[in-house]
Amino acid sequence: MKISFAKPHLPAEGALIVGVLEGKTLTPTARTLNELTGGGLERAMTAGRFLGKKDQTLVVLAPAGAPLARVVLVGLGKAESVDAQAAQSFGGTGLAAVLTSGDAACAIACDDFDGLKLPAAEFAANAAFGARLRSYRFDKYFTKEKKEDKPSVRKLAVLTDAGGAKAAFAPLDAVADGVFLTRTVVSEPANVIHPESLADECRKLTALGIEVEVLGEKQMKKLGMGALLGVGQGSDRESQLVVMRWTGAGNPDAAPLALVGKGVCFDSGGISIKPAAGMEDMKWDMGGAGAVIGTLAALAGRKAKANVVGIVGLVENMPSGTAQRPGDVVRSMSGQTIEVINTDAEGRLVLCDALWYAKERFKPSAMIDLATLTGAIVIALGTEYAGLFASNDRLAERIAAAGKAVDEPVWRLPLGEAYDKQLKSDIADMKNVGGREGGSITAAQFLKRFVADVPWAHIDIAGTAWSKKDTATIPKGASAFGVRLLDRLIAEHYEDKA
Amino acid sequence: MKIRFAVRAAPAAARAEAAAPGGKSEILAAARPYLIRLAPGTDPRRSGAALAVLLPGCPSPLAVELGLDGAAAADFAYGLRLRAFRPLAKYRTRPDDDAPAPAPGEVVIVTADPAAAEAAFRRHDAVLRGVFLARDLVAEPGNHLGPAELADRVRLLAELGVAVDILDPAAHGLGLLAAVGQGSARPPRLAVARWNGGPAGARPLVLVGKGLTFDAGGLSIKPAEHMEEMKGDMAGAAAVLGALTAIAARRAAVNVAGVLAIAENMPGAGALRPGDVIRSHKGPTVEVVDTDAEGRLVLADALSWAAANLSPAALIDIATLTGAVVRVLGRHHAGLYSNRDGLARRLTDIGRRQAEPLWRLPLSAACDAHLRSDVADWKNCGWGPVPDHDNAARFLQKFVPAGIAWAHLDIAGTADSPGDGDFCPKGATGFGVRLFDALAAG
Repeated sequence: MKISFAKPHLPAEGALIVGVLEGKTLTPTARTLNELTGGGLERAMTAGRFLGKKDQTLVVLAPAGAPLARVVLVGLGKAESVDAQAAQSFGGTGLAAVLTSGDAACAIACDDFDGLKLPAAEFAANAAFGARLRSYRFDKYFTKEKKEDKPSVRKLAVLTDAGGAKAAFAPLDAVADGVFLTRTVVSEPANVIHPESLADECRKLTALGIEVEVLGEKQMKKLGMGALLGVGQGSDRESQLVVMRWTGAGNPDAAPLALVGKGVCFDSGGISIKPAAGMEDMKWDMGGAGAVIGTLAALAGRKAKANVVGIVGLVENMPSGTAQRPGDVVRSMSGQTIEVINTDAEGRLVLCDALWYAKERFKPSAMIDLATLTGAIVIALGTEYAGLFASNDRLAERIAAAGKAVDEPVWRLPLGEAYDKQLKSDIADMKNVGGREGGSITAAQFLKRFVADVPWAHIDIAGTAWSKKDTATIPKGASAFGVRLLDRLIAEHYEDKA
Repeated sequence: MKIRFAVRAAPAAARAEAAAPGGKSEILAAARPYLIRLAPGTDPRRSGAALAVLLPGCPSPLAVELGLDGAAAADFAYGLRLRAFRPLAKYRTRPDDDAPAPAPGEVVIVTADPAAAEAAFRRHDAVLRGVFLARDLVAEPGNHLGPAELADRVRLLAELGVAVDILDPAAHGLGLLAAVGQGSARPPRLAVARWNGGPAGARPLVLVGKGLTFDAGGLSIKPAEHMEEMKGDMAGAAAVLGALTAIAARRAAVNVAGVLAIAENMPGAGALRPGDVIRSHKGPTVEVVDTDAEGRLVLADALSWAAANLSPAALIDIATLTGAVVRVLGRHHAGLYSNRDGLARRLTDIGRRQAEPLWRLPLSAACDAHLRSDVADWKNCGWGPVPDHDNAARFLQKFVPAGIAWAHLDIAGTADSPGDGDFCPKGATGFGVRLFDALAAG
């Protein structure tokens, strides 16, 4: 879908999306159209019980007096509560109503209106961003889909008077690129995206100016990454550790922010195998790595003035003759030994070596890891919030604020000595599971043993990486949770200020 | 165990003194007199609790010589008594072979200011009485402590000057509480206890406790394994009763009311069925899709009744509500939900200071969609992707007027300790009593 910006006008064909404030107050373009149709929109709103509540929609087909195929009225809610998120929601909700309508051309009227607190250029840019986010579709494996079921919209014209809307959209467009990359690698099945092919996807980021290094098993063995390698030893695919460096700060030697992602490309559970029902979901057990890769792409795409290093540990967790056994003791790169009680608690084994490596090699100013780590987080927070754990209150507050701002909400959960004790092993320095109680917390506690005194946060996205239903800006499927949050966090706290 | 404070110890059978910096706690039983060295600590309450663990077998009297000032000596004694508690033994007909050896009958804590220590400890002693009552009540078996017996224990508060009313739920429109109790031969009660130590007419702090004296689950019966633990499903009510005891015993200058929703959840012939629709005290109807999600039903009515009849300054409920909260926070934090940030912060701070830690969880609007019923205003369980503890909290919120500052504490993971804790032995913890006492103190 191609997005362009134009002055407000009534298009000569296709679909037009217009906003309506709560109380059925039409925004300017909608008003013009209403007059042109002799009060047609007002009649339609009454007939359709449309009040202009946020994200309410009403489709008016072939309005008399206008050449349009359809007009989509989208509720904006109250004028004063329209913020960037509401604008994205407006764009996404409107586009969803048109996407498979058969119309190829679509326009969205982003007029300034009375009471709008957001700058008009921001409103238009965010509406375009929301529409673009909603336009994503992972359909490459449908070979027999009927034409009428396929998305028809080819062009989206954003109608606005505000100067600077296009410029304001450019960085958001780069973020959308990152989000799409994440969604794609997460959606791909595990026979297509496995450690080696995902590493290849990372290599493609060099085109954006990112330095990419890939470590194979031999190199990792030399570094002593026994925890990560143990997870991958049951698979025929070679485990990989990918280092992606974006050096955008004025001082290229300034300590980077390290983003670490769990990339279990398929997680069968290993010898502690998972039940068959729902196992297909485990293709997205690399959602954390996917988010880190997408974030790097977003940062490079918008030339962020920050130094960020992304490190993803890529493995496949499979049962086989060579697989890791429950009871095995492995030595991590940090030197600490781990008794593997459950081979299905493998994410933390991958992350612990990746975190230690990040800390040792890059001396980062802070480390944030993302992982679809525990099923328990879904019991804790459902699919609305990701779980946040942090060794540093200020970092936690910043992450929570960034998440709130981009509608990727996180909820902080506790860490503490008492939980740490649950990891005590009879034979090694620690076990890889701490029991059923507080399972997400003990997983975070495990990771904390590998970050030393670097400010660190862990985001458990097992409940939020995949959306089971469409939302305004996220079609059902991979949500790319984390990309927008991290992008915002970096924009606010890690970039050189002009 | 008798605690005394004195300027210097008379010749004692045993002594406790501080170990050298960095040293660890140890018993030197061969020394004359018997000597305990205590690892240095900064919190006298924790030091006292640490000593309690070393006491079995120690001769009496024991002199504690740590150079504590008056307040610290009282705190030390407080921690010592909390941890030295021995669980309910009244149902044993012969001594438990595995029980620890007796602790000394008398402990003398040496302090420069025994009068100040004595005064400060008197207040702690009142709280200890409340904590121990709560612990004992939780340990009581379901056949010995049913709804009537628990109500009788509330009536005993009258001795401390607390006004007590025991109400029949059905007669007062508490349809949900009545329904939960209808499957048992022992009818439910609403017990109301009012301590008016503060200015007349000042709005009270209202504490609401879930008091399921036994929870079999009803027709949605629980699995057999561990069902015996369900005798403790009244730990919330016990905490409220313990808190009222503490507050009244120390004659606190504050108005506090306790409301205990008391019932037994049994699969009797008259039991509530899944699918039944019940009218709540507040008015909305509830479809009971799971009779084992009964805690939120009895609390909904108790909260609504309290809001309507007691003009609460703040309304706080406490309950062993969901197994899900144990999966989330384990045994080391209780779940906290609140409609006010200020109240949530205050409770969290007090919880930390009283070593009854809370962690706030979200009241999620996403729950509403899952709580909608096809036949009534709400159903009592989401069965959806939303976590059950969040659903439960959100359900309760619907029965609390938005104008009232409210908090809900889910203590399913903290009411009982599977092993020895810092301030209590294995078993019932009395979680909530110290928190509420400190909250009432302001």
